[in-house]
Amino acid sequence: MIGLHGVSHTFGSVAALAGIGLEVGEHEFVAVIGRSGCGKSTLLRLIAGLLKPSEGHVLVAGERVEKPRRDVSFMFQRPALLPWRSVLSNVLLPIEIFGLAQRKYRDRAHELLDLTGLGGFEERLPHELSGGMRQRVSLCRSLIQSPRVMLMDEPFSALDAITRTELSEELQRVQLELPRTVVFVTHSIDEAVLLADRIVVLSPRPGRIHRIVDVDLPRPRALGQVELDEVSRELRELLAEVTA
Amino acid sequence: MKVVLPVLGLLAIIGAWWLATIVFGIEPFLVPSPADVVAEFLEVPGYLLEQSLITLWEAVSGFGLSIVIGVPLALLIVGSTVLERMFYPLLVALNAVPKVAIAPIVVVWFGFGISSKVLMVVLVCIFPIVISTASGMKSTPGELVELFRSLDASRHHEFFKLRLRHAVPQIFVGLKVSITLAVIGAVIGEFVGSSAGLGYVISLSGGSANTSLAFAAMALLAIMSVALFYGLSYAERKLVPWSEEHRVV
Repeated sequence: MIGLHGVSHTFGSVAALAGIGLEVGEHEFVAVIGRSGCGKSTLLRLIAGLLKPSEGHVLVAGERVEKPRRDVSFMFQRPALLPWRSVLSNVLLPIEIFGLAQRKYRDRAHELLDLTGLGGFEERLPHELSGGMRQRVSLCRSLIQSPRVMLMDEPFSALDAITRTELSEELQRVQLELPRTVVFVTHSIDEAVLLADRIVVLSPRPGRIHRIVDVDLPRPRALGQVELDEVSRELRELLAEVTA
Repeated sequence: MKVVLPVLGLLAIIGAWWLATIVFGIEPFLVPSPADVVAEFLEVPGYLLEQSLITLWEAVSGFGLSIVIGVPLALLIVGSTVLERMFYPLLVALNAVPKVAIAPIVVVWFGFGISSKVLMVVLVCIFPIVISTASGMKSTPGELVELFRSLDASRHHEFFKLRLRHAVPQIFVGLKVSITLAVIGAVIGEFVGSSAGLGYVISLSGGSANTSLAFAAMALLAIMSVALFYGLSYAERKLVPWSEEHRVV
């Protein structure tokens, strides 16, 4: 579904990513982990078409990415909700921007909000919601267009630990119900192990793929499950290598 | 409490003023007592209210016109770096010129009627509106702009569905500054050349040493400004409930 071939990116004279090659299959969940400043976010923005690679090329569904695609959605670190719009109208924003008939998607928006426990909050404004609820709205918004690919840039990192756990378990549930191809950037080992089929460990400055770890564990997984520990330990060692 | 405290403050000032005129035995033609001012108003209430309405209309229509011109101007400035570089310094220069200095020229060009006053109002009002709109649009959070980019939104969408909407709370800051300036602009216009309005009443009463009448007109101007300002604040609370939490003033 996604292919990166010899992708490098430099900002001015600073090399952010170098020689990235990666294939992500359909409905595969790939987590990208690494220290801050290792180019994780840059990698996502290249796949999203928000940035153009300095070298190499990015393919999504067999086509070269030149600009943002409608079948690729992006979820940010912060909820990025429009404060003047109700929850429902925030979820429907992509539909409105794409110029599609909103009433056809209204039912789907309600379903997604119910799925993420936001039923009954449709008419609230974002500032009336808690941080976790806002990020759930953001998740619904990135699902409304039925994207083939979801790109998630540390989507839970601004939340408190409890909400964070809750949301990662919820994302697992959503992914089991509505499978997508996902690239999920995080610096949390627990999140990566809980959610991913494969985990890409990046080394910093410039970002390179240090190792790819397969997580062959059945789903649903649970945080704190003993089987996850082994993978977590391996990742912790890899991350320690990367900074050394 | 919201109403009680300002009213108490006002009554305290009026009381002090009254006391001063009695204790120091100040001549009414220098500083009239509150009673003199009220009496003067009650002598010609119809006339004074009529003049108030003229000034109010000049101020409000000039203010409205400033919004109609100022907001699109801000859109152009934000939309084009070339236009911004070309006209922004001119706008600053225009704002720096004392409006009292332009007033006589404006009267020469537009005559003694209402249009010269409306133009004066626009000249004082437009700058805060353009600045607040432009800076509000430019300060749209990066993640929201990136969200729109990731949806491949058109520039048109980015401007009208995002930047302009985001600027609304800041636009209101500019509007609140402008609305009080609007009344001042109208009065300057009336001072320089007119035969109606509260500014005209004040300049006339100065000539005939009728200080009470001037005070009555000034009180009406003050009431008008306060009413316009709080009317806008009320509209702001209704229109932008989400800005409540970042509001400082």
